[in-house]
Amino acid sequence: MTDTAVVKESDKPAAAPAAADDERLAYRGVFQRLLVRPEIGAIIGAAAIWAFFWAVANEFGTAGGILPVLAVSSTLGIMAVAVSLLMIGGEFDLSSGAATGALGIVTILLVRDIGELGGAGLSLWVAIPLSLVVALALGWFNGTMVERTKLPSFIVTLATFFILRGFKLGFSKLIIDNITVGSIEDGGGHAFWVKVFGSTWVRNDHQLEIRDAIYTIAMLGGIALLVFAVYELAYVRRDRLNPAGLIALVAGIAGVVVGILVMHGTDGVSSNTLAAAIIGGSGIVGLVGLALWRYQPASGVTMSFDSKALTNAGVGIGLVVLGLLAAWQIDVQSQESVLDLVGLLKWPLVILGGMGAGYSLIQRGVVEFAGDSNEQVNAWFRVGAAAVATAFVVYAFMFMTTEQGLRAILFGLLVGAGFIMLAMAANEAGRTSAGAKSAIQLVTAASILALAFFIRDQSTSVKFRSEVFTILLVLAMVVGAWALTGFRFETRKAAHLSADKLGTRVGIVGMVSMLVGLAIKLLFTTDAEIAAGLPRAQFRVEFLWFILVAAIATFVLGRTKFGSWIFAVGGNKEAARQIGVPAARTKTQLFMIVSVAAWLVGLLLAFRLNTLQSGTGNGLEFEYIIAAVVGGTFLTGGYGSAFGASIGALIMAMSKQGIPAARWNSDWRFAFLGVILLAAVIANNYIRTKAESAR
Amino acid sequence: MSALIELENIGKFYGNIVALQGVTTEVHAGEVTCVLGDNGAGKSTFIKILAGVHQHSEGTLKLEGEEVSFGSPREALDRGIAAVYQDLAMVPLMSVWRNFFLGAEPTKGVWPVRWVDTGKAKSVAKAELAKMGIDIRDTEQPVGTLSGGERQSVAIARAVHFGAKVLILDEPTSALGVKQSGVVLKYILAARDRGLGVIFITHNPHHAYPVGDRFMILNRGKSMGNFPKDEISRDELVQMMAGGAELDQLTHELESAGGGG
Repeated sequence: MTDTAVVKESDKPAAAPAAADDERLAYRGVFQRLLVRPEIGAIIGAAAIWAFFWAVANEFGTAGGILPVLAVSSTLGIMAVAVSLLMIGGEFDLSSGAATGALGIVTILLVRDIGELGGAGLSLWVAIPLSLVVALALGWFNGTMVERTKLPSFIVTLATFFILRGFKLGFSKLIIDNITVGSIEDGGGHAFWVKVFGSTWVRNDHQLEIRDAIYTIAMLGGIALLVFAVYELAYVRRDRLNPAGLIALVAGIAGVVVGILVMHGTDGVSSNTLAAAIIGGSGIVGLVGLALWRYQPASGVTMSFDSKALTNAGVGIGLVVLGLLAAWQIDVQSQESVLDLVGLLKWPLVILGGMGAGYSLIQRGVVEFAGDSNEQVNAWFRVGAAAVATAFVVYAFMFMTTEQGLRAILFGLLVGAGFIMLAMAANEAGRTSAGAKSAIQLVTAASILALAFFIRDQSTSVKFRSEVFTILLVLAMVVGAWALTGFRFETRKAAHLSADKLGTRVGIVGMVSMLVGLAIKLLFTTDAEIAAGLPRAQFRVEFLWFILVAAIATFVLGRTKFGSWIFAVGGNKEAARQIGVPAARTKTQLFMIVSVAAWLVGLLLAFRLNTLQSGTGNGLEFEYIIAAVVGGTFLTGGYGSAFGASIGALIMAMSKQGIPAARWNSDWRFAFLGVILLAAVIANNYIRTKAESAR
Repeated sequence: MSALIELENIGKFYGNIVALQGVTTEVHAGEVTCVLGDNGAGKSTFIKILAGVHQHSEGTLKLEGEEVSFGSPREALDRGIAAVYQDLAMVPLMSVWRNFFLGAEPTKGVWPVRWVDTGKAKSVAKAELAKMGIDIRDTEQPVGTLSGGERQSVAIARAVHFGAKVLILDEPTSALGVKQSGVVLKYILAARDRGLGVIFITHNPHHAYPVGDRFMILNRGKSMGNFPKDEISRDELVQMMAGGAELDQLTHELESAGGGG
């Protein structure tokens, strides 16, 4: 017996734990740790889709374009967050869409005057808590029915959906003989409650002349803090600080400030270029200085290229150059004649090109990374490739009907593929030689820089030009600094508690700083903008509710008992029950959370629109589910995130708003949503396989 | 030494179906009581009565001398009886530490703002697993990434940590390979050495005999006897478990069918 008892699995030698830790548990770097989060795909997708619409429709880069997106995302997002909790708990609620309208109508009917007009004539102070009770009862009904009957929640809530739909129509007609139910203004206490659920912030009424200065400081400071956080998380600290590095850091910061001042004070092309050079150069000096100051230099950096990495890098640069050339040659002014020539060819070209690019990307992904121990990198590239391929297929599909289509597609495809090739080449080289990886990364940084200048000179859109230019400049700087420090400093192989803590905190402060900068830019206007006659963009209080709901849900899911129970009942209900989790109660509470969210959304809609149609909300339940799935929630339950669901809602809102903003026929919206859903489900499935089986 | 659990003539009926009848055995602290039986012998019913999933229909169940009947799994757990089920033990997509503390998470803060003390939970989970001799790489990793034996072991460690006096293991080795089974058997002994009364349910006498101190054999819902280890040999155990004479008959048939092979 003792023989079998001491033998462990062959792949797991029973060595001393401390020594075994390093060998069996490779320390996961910053990016690898981020990758296993369920919401990461959604964040990448949101950034890609936003950048896409920004490039296509100018106003997506302005407050007038973003604030409507936030408004649309709010009501959708509140529901998506609640629905994602329910889905993580392993259930569906198909009545959630109809419930929003129903609960809004209930509130309005409660406050309407008694008399021939119908209604109960209550004050809002009474009506709002009463409709909350109705909401709780509705959720309790759904949950109890599902738990008692043991039927799939799909069927039970489908029934509730039709019941609610009938009630909405029936009661509206019965009580007030109208399918339009209004108005909530009649209620007592409206003046107070409209502030809570319906107030707005009109951007043009709030000027802040130093807005751009605050914005710039907040953004650059945020980026600097983020870079510092990454350094802190990725590298080994020195025993003693190096003062020379500190001097370089300070000099770099000073240089960036000077560069910004130069850029701010001029409109000339040559001074702008000079400023860009100063910012980029000093940024790299500062970042390298930061590394020298605090972190341990690596010993023995090698420099040898293997042929595969070189080929990839060469092809990558070639593709970027071709992409730039394609956009350059087919100039906006003269495009019509060129497009006439290729007009017949464009569909086959796009389809063939897309298929070829997609296939080769996947092939490369499979070949290059098959059997690679670093599976996370593999995941990065597949997710990235899938996102890029999807974006371009959609782009092609939607955009070919406009004049600039071919130019943009060629440019995007070639440049995108080029950068992917460069990144793969760097990864390839990094496995054999640290120096070679740095060299390829430097080339990548130079290509980004070239792209920045190209866009600044070629793009006709001033807004897009200046902002993209700045972003690409910072990106080139970060990649360049990364190349110079990445392999010349000792990377962390083990957790370092105080560094991890500092890095995480600094990173959070950096992100908050950037968000505050963005918010200030969105919420305030300047004299110059008013003079330019910008639209009167509004910020609605709904978005604050959305943030509040998303924050609470994220906290509950991640840090509370109830959160653990949600994952448990969705992941393995029987196990949860056996261990003592009240599974039935947890699920019922989840249904009640969804109906309370529907109550909140119903109120927000009622206060925004004043009157509600009896059909309000019908059919939206699938949008909530799509948003949750896009945000990384599994349809099968047990895995997901509330934060991801709110990002999913943003993606949905962006596509709703972006398609008309790009002046496409908005009928295409559903095709767009379908493609996004499919891509999200495939990505989720992939992550799930990894999470369940990766060792 | 007085028994932790004493069962006397325990029986369970589902309507007119007799699932279990006349079962008598006892469980002592620091001892492994093995319950053996073929499929359909009533092992599941036996566990479910002890774990509070079902209530017994007749006989007496005494916990530390006091007569009890558990209304729910939670109740049994609160009294110190923890069951570890073969497939249902863990939520695969959840991390090791969340699984470890599931249903009994340590919290900080004051109601209504109360949250799980993740730092404490992780370090306690890691330390408790180490005490059982289980070296988990990272308590953040999903349980789904552990091997079958490791999962059982985490479940055992969890039960031990939460003050279980009696540990019921339902077929912990049946789905495992030889080496993995060995690992689990070792953890059974580790739990025994920490003073728990272990009830080890299995249909494999070769797994039961080396670790067991007491054997109870079930057949078709009836107890075929309750033996301390020194009163029964491994061969006798195998014989009894398969129904004695029936096995002789079967062996005979097989041999003649297989040409004596």
